[in-house]
Amino acid sequence: MANSDFTSPPLTAPVVGLVGNPNSGKSSLFNLLTGLRQRIGNFPGVTVEKKSGTLTIDDLPPVELVDFPGAYSCYPTSLDERLVVQELTNPKGDLFPDAILYVADVTKLDKHLLLFTQLRDLDLPMILVLNMADLIDETGLQVDIPLLSEKLGVPVVTVSAREGRGVAELKQAIGDLLRDPQAFRPGEPFYEPGAPARDVLADLRQALPARNDYHALLLTHHASWLRHVPEKLRHRVQEARVKNGFHSLRAQVEETMERYDTFEPIVKKAVRHAGDKESLSDKLDGVLAHHLFGPVIFIALMLFLFQALFAWSGWPMDGIEWFFGQLGGGVRATLPEGWLADLLVDGIIAGLGGVLVFVPQIAILFLFITILEEVGYMARAAYLFDSIMQRFGLNGRSVVALISGHACAIPAIMSTRTIANWKERLLTILVTPLTSCSARIPVYVILISFAVPDGSFAGFGYQGLAFAGLYFLGILAAMASAWLFKFVLKTGERSFLMLELPDYRTPVWRNVGLTVWQKVKTFIVEAGQVILFISIVLWGLSSYGPPSQMAEAEVRAEQVITANNLSGDDADDVLAGEKLEASYAGHIGKFIEPVIRPLGYDWKIGIALFASFAAREVFVGTMATIYSVGSAGDDGLRVRDRMAEEVNPVTGQAVYNPATAWSLLVFYVFAMMCMSTLAVTKRETGGWKWPIIQFTFMTVLAYVSAMGVYQLLT
Amino acid sequence: MPFPRSTAASLFVAGMSGTIERFTNENLAGKLLDIGVRPGSRLRIVRKGPFGSCWYVKIDRHCVALRRRELACILIK
Repeated sequence: MANSDFTSPPLTAPVVGLVGNPNSGKSSLFNLLTGLRQRIGNFPGVTVEKKSGTLTIDDLPPVELVDFPGAYSCYPTSLDERLVVQELTNPKGDLFPDAILYVADVTKLDKHLLLFTQLRDLDLPMILVLNMADLIDETGLQVDIPLLSEKLGVPVVTVSAREGRGVAELKQAIGDLLRDPQAFRPGEPFYEPGAPARDVLADLRQALPARNDYHALLLTHHASWLRHVPEKLRHRVQEARVKNGFHSLRAQVEETMERYDTFEPIVKKAVRHAGDKESLSDKLDGVLAHHLFGPVIFIALMLFLFQALFAWSGWPMDGIEWFFGQLGGGVRATLPEGWLADLLVDGIIAGLGGVLVFVPQIAILFLFITILEEVGYMARAAYLFDSIMQRFGLNGRSVVALISGHACAIPAIMSTRTIANWKERLLTILVTPLTSCSARIPVYVILISFAVPDGSFAGFGYQGLAFAGLYFLGILAAMASAWLFKFVLKTGERSFLMLELPDYRTPVWRNVGLTVWQKVKTFIVEAGQVILFISIVLWGLSSYGPPSQMAEAEVRAEQVITANNLSGDDADDVLAGEKLEASYAGHIGKFIEPVIRPLGYDWKIGIALFASFAAREVFVGTMATIYSVGSAGDDGLRVRDRMAEEVNPVTGQAVYNPATAWSLLVFYVFAMMCMSTLAVTKRETGGWKWPIIQFTFMTVLAYVSAMGVYQLLT
Repeated sequence: MPFPRSTAASLFVAGMSGTIERFTNENLAGKLLDIGVRPGSRLRIVRKGPFGSCWYVKIDRHCVALRRRELACILIK
């Protein structure tokens, strides 16, 4: 390898990259090394989640540990993998690591060394981390570490991320490497570019900003999409490829085969398997992946999940509700009466409480999904449903997104990056928000109590059944929309499954805990901000209006009160009601009322609907705000009770009758009411086209179905 | 039961096994190689997935789910 531009990295803020195949236990190791000192951000320019954390090693400056997405090789098929190649072929990038911890599953060394040898040939200082060392004892696997280290030319450390073993040795090795990276540079490359690439490389070698031949080869392969390759160079590469008849795929296959031939003998010599007896995983899959039992078990599991969601979240929810009740009362008692107290209690505390109450359910949902992911069940679900999904234009992997969508559409949409086919990925992104995310839970809970009577049938509560029905409706709508879009979208790209089914493992609880904590934290912070903002704006809009009209409203209220001889709370209610109608929020509500009247909504619901388009979970908070404004001072009642009291002034009937409640429920199942999801769709699809289509089709679907439901029920 | 002679893996039923000879599609070959499926690997069809077109396959000691079309480009000897 002829290269001289390698300089010792400055040790001010060393970056260490954690790289490895999917399912190598990379994230477990990351969690073990960094614990709660993790930061989550995005890789520059893309929404691939970037996890990084700080590692302290003796006297060295704090090391930034970056968890790269899992990748199989330097020939990426998914966006996640592309990112790895992009950052590791860009020595000038911020994330270019000073050292790489290459994580490999010790039982799959014969596959996991492919990417290792590629990165090694890029001249990156590396440590090979053999994960799942616990299996060495358990399964009678034998590994000759010194031999591996000698043949591969890197330090080899065994760790068990599961049991937390080997961390001290690993840190020691990282420290040694960072102090003297030159001592860890490779001798012989594993692979020298062969005949198919020789001509094109000779042509391009000088033009490319490459550290060595292999780096140049990768730039030649991937110049068309690597962000750090300038446009001019891209053309130059393309010309050279055509001129020299460089066939990228053929060269890739040739390289990969040669690499396997090089490292396979090393693995054979160093690793001894105990025998090929049927493992527990195989036996489990005999049932769980069975062509009949598999889908049945999957559905039973999902039913159990949603049952547990409501059974287990009762008392923490009561606790949170009680807490906010106390908090509101306390603030009301401490502060002097006036706009500040109103804003705090009716706007902010009511709005936040309305959403935080659902944190237990969201946590439980994420807990289940994380456990399913951790034990390896999600891959089975993808396998079981691939055939069905294909018929709807989706991929087996879409199942993961559609399940996660029940917690939150945002991580679900991001999880589609593992789908290599653009059409399948796009369809999944478009329809995932139709699955009932956790933000709909608060809306459902309140509205179902109006739509469905208490009572039970054969041990199942009516309201619980209605709940399940709404979830089912969401899934049904998602599949039906995918099926329709399938005919509209055209692509020549081939679709793949090729899905690894990793062995089942008991979950590492540290990982589960950390993931759930991070997701819940994100929900609280992000939803909290939106809700705080909307609560304040809404409170302002509903407390103030055009001065002349507000004055008129007061006069009118005065007349009604004297005419009917009202006093006390009743008089307050009338006054507040008139004022709300005259306020800016009232104007907005009245403005959209003609549009939503066929759906059975009045202008107050219109206000909530309007606010919900920012984020649907504000519905409850908005209701709290609207109805607290409607009766200031009397805060003993909860939102639900207030809504129940609401009477249509014309008909004298309850506003929240079953027809309106069902219509609203259907509207909330289908409508695209989440700015954050639209933003993610925009980022993931690279433009405004798809988020606009998504918003339009979902909202039209919501409007038409809600109208149908209301007209049918009245 | 061994495969009779060099044949596409998609033609066989659960329980059959053999050694991969080569791939007939370059595009798929690149992807298969990446996940560790390569000539010389031992392939066994474990079971057929529900609803048709998907198979549970064991390659050496690792389990992989492949579609019928993907199996069709793997030649077994």
